Amino acid sequence: MRIALYSLLAALFVASIASAQHPMVLKQEADRVAVIARVKPSVVAVFARGGQGGGTGVLINDEGYALTNFHVVQPTGPTMQCGLADGILYDGVLVGWDKVGDVALIKLLPKKDGAKFPFSAMGNSDLVREGDWSIAMGNPFLLATDFTPTVTFGLVSGVHRYQPPAGGGFLEYTDCIQIDTSINPGNSGGPLFNLKGEVIGINGRGSFDKRGRINSGVGYAISINQIKNFMGHLQAGLDSDHASLGALVRTEAEGFGIGKTRITAILDEADAARRGLDLEDELSSFAGRAITSDNHYKNVVGIFPRGWRVPLEYRRGDTKKEILVRLMGQQRKEVNDPMQPPPKVDPKQPPPIKGKGGPQGPAAKYYEPKAGFANYYFNKQEKARVLAGLKKNGDFGALGGAWTIDGGVRLLKSNNDSSFTIDIKDVKADGNETPTVLVKIGAFPDTLEIFPKDNIAAKDRRRPNGSGGLMPALYVWKHLMTKGEANLSECLHAGMEPFYPPRLDNAAPRTWSDQRVDADVLTTQQGLYRVKWFFARSDQKLLGMELRMQEYNEDPCEVYFSDYRAVDGRQLPHRMQVYYKDVHYGTFTVTSYKLAGN
Amino acid sequence: MIRNVLPSWKYRLAGCLLLLAGVSTVNAQGSMTAAAAKVNDKMVKLFGIGGLKGLASYGSGILVSENGHILTVNNHILVNTTGLKVHLYDGRQYQAKVLFREPELDIALLKIDEEVNALPHFEFDKEAARPMAENGDWILAFSNQFQIALRDEPMSVQRGVIMAVADLRGRRGVFDAPYNGDVYFLDVIACNPGAAGGVVTNRKGELLGILGRELKSTSTDTWVNYAVPIQAAVDVQRDDKTAKVSMAMFVKDAMKGTYKQSTKIVRKDLGGYHGIVLVVNAVSSTPPYVEEVATGSPAEKTGLRPDDLILYVEGYSVPTIKIFRETLKQYGPGEEIRVQLQRGSKLESVKLKLGNQPKVPVPN
Repeated sequence: MRIALYSLLAALFVASIASAQHPMVLKQEADRVAVIARVKPSVVAVFARGGQGGGTGVLINDEGYALTNFHVVQPTGPTMQCGLADGILYDGVLVGWDKVGDVALIKLLPKKDGAKFPFSAMGNSDLVREGDWSIAMGNPFLLATDFTPTVTFGLVSGVHRYQPPAGGGFLEYTDCIQIDTSINPGNSGGPLFNLKGEVIGINGRGSFDKRGRINSGVGYAISINQIKNFMGHLQAGLDSDHASLGALVRTEAEGFGIGKTRITAILDEADAARRGLDLEDELSSFAGRAITSDNHYKNVVGIFPRGWRVPLEYRRGDTKKEILVRLMGQQRKEVNDPMQPPPKVDPKQPPPIKGKGGPQGPAAKYYEPKAGFANYYFNKQEKARVLAGLKKNGDFGALGGAWTIDGGVRLLKSNNDSSFTIDIKDVKADGNETPTVLVKIGAFPDTLEIFPKDNIAAKDRRRPNGSGGLMPALYVWKHLMTKGEANLSECLHAGMEPFYPPRLDNAAPRTWSDQRVDADVLTTQQGLYRVKWFFARSDQKLLGMELRMQEYNEDPCEVYFSDYRAVDGRQLPHRMQVYYKDVHYGTFTVTSYKLAGN
Repeated sequence: MIRNVLPSWKYRLAGCLLLLAGVSTVNAQGSMTAAAAKVNDKMVKLFGIGGLKGLASYGSGILVSENGHILTVNNHILVNTTGLKVHLYDGRQYQAKVLFREPELDIALLKIDEEVNALPHFEFDKEAARPMAENGDWILAFSNQFQIALRDEPMSVQRGVIMAVADLRGRRGVFDAPYNGDVYFLDVIACNPGAAGGVVTNRKGELLGILGRELKSTSTDTWVNYAVPIQAAVDVQRDDKTAKVSMAMFVKDAMKGTYKQSTKIVRKDLGGYHGIVLVVNAVSSTPPYVEEVATGSPAEKTGLRPDDLILYVEGYSVPTIKIFRETLKQYGPGEEIRVQLQRGSKLESVKLKLGNQPKVPVPN
């Protein structure tokens, strides 16, 4: 009996030691502590200048760029003060914002030029599952007077959550992460980490209801993958807008069983309508994600910026079709509603920024207000970066004379290759320049005066016929290559967008997502011609362009440049694939460039 | 009345081993994802009556049979016995109707109003056969709080710890509790709008309890988060006789259609009887002056007199008649309370042993 008791006690002793100090438990704890110590220096306590109000942020690169909430920087104004866990207070300036998504990018100014900041890597929030552990860090109740962040730990309660807009159409949380990790006022804008210490979201909101504005066990973080979609826009200082399809959908509530999402209304102006989407079509997937409820639909549309092209799949009867759709904005500025005059934007009026007295302190010199921008200063920076990169591929500044391009082309309805000659020149007559483009395919020459004195209609400038406007496109291309942004009425950086070069054989891709590359985008206006330019993110090589002659509501002429080869040390495309209205007009294969000097 | 259950040696040993097993499971999966998915498939989102006075029109429930029997909380969204909408884990949508309610357990059994089969569900009697969880045990809470999920979107999952296993009513009159008995008190804020009828499980996804309603203390304005253990059993009134009913019995008989409906026991939380008649409560701040003392009452026995001004009850200040009455509700028959009062210019302290409320109520 006694032996039995002793052995039981011994077993208990061993078991309790094991439970208290099991190496796996200790290891997990040590790992967690190590991760927190590693990411802590990247957490930013954001304060309005003077210390009133604020929130949290997280540094995402060593240059001092940090993410936070729009609703954190709205009251601080364009300059703010940012404390790091090392106890040092830095000056910060607003870079860009996404009001609908409640995200803002700010930049901390280093104390010494070129000094590097600690930062945390961004993870992949699509890999987050409900039941995963998460760590929130931040400045709840503005406790961090020494800027040391508060750490809370909890469970991911749900992913791909939808929370409707909370303020005048803004602050809509689509595809967000729901957590029971405690977040409170002041945590706003702070990071949600996974156990690897990667940022998977930006904490910003909770369900509060009756219990007051404190943690109620239900907090929401904006998924980092949505923010990645907007990162190019944020870095370019844009006041970016979220996408809409330009159509209303409804998941059938009647009839029981799994829901089908159908188009119940569609705007004629919507690109989706021009791509063939129609009433009663069943939306089966959007950007590669299946749609089974209204919330799903809002989730998958809501994570994209306005103007992006994404693949969409729909069913009509027994047929399934994938189309590549350009998304409209949410703020509907491109819709010409005859009942409502479009809201007038006064270009002289700076964007409304609250906060005391606008920009202040040493960061003020990095702030430049302009309508449509959170901070125009950073747009100019980004534009300059792209144009400088473009020049590295070839400086054409001294080659402003006539350009003659020769080669072969196979047109859409032809079975044979034809030779082509393209002449792009500024003809001098009476001392005035008369820019013209000649395209000769086979034995058929066509000449277009690019800026005619009698203002001929846009449709008559879409030449050669069927190309959607290749001739003006070639002119503005040469202008950008030789003169840059000189003489353009507008030249802006428009953020980052996906770009889908066609296959070299022009066959339909298996799925459009296979073709996707991300591109830096510039937009320019020159006379009637509005152009969207797509540049490779790595080396700013020009990948393609879209030329329109009205702002919206029309299909552009699409030119895709590839097969870059050096001509006298300068990179030039030796293949140009031209598309208009989803139709391949022709592929031009260049055999020679003759570029005349100024 | 927090009962600190000391587990037997045997259980403690078993607990240690379980913890070890748990650690390796957790390490292998790295998260609660697998348990969450397993539980989620057996849960439903309910949509019914509500939307007024801060009452949600949605709730949570669990499937307890493959044919679509649903167990949930007997709350306002079930006011109409038909017209309830159910969303299953896979997005299927059905109408449901209420088959039976048991007000003493605060639960109801619903049935999907259509032929369905092979639905994932909890084997309720098997789940209820396990021993109850204990203080300090880890739990996961699942519900459709705040109506965050629709159709095939998964329920919200939270994690927490059982803080106490104790009588929900605790201090009488503080919570207007629909269920009287031991509950799991949770450290996680799980009892949000629409959470009632959700579940609490262990880390393996085994059922422990049914999440309760939103409940706020009238004295501290704090909210309590609790779940009714699935082993719960209560006395019910049937044809003037008292019978014992457990949750498992209710589920089993209600599914067979043989459950005998009980009548709600009407309780008045008047607290214990003291026999003090106060002056007319003329204004909101009328102080608790004694007008008279009922003959033979505890107040008479302890020597309370007309014109005494009651200042403190058990150390709590009672400046008004209203506060005096609310405070007294918290003490039941048999409890002895200390009352401090002003008599003339002197302070007196008396002990008052509360009795049962008399059959014919006298004015208190």
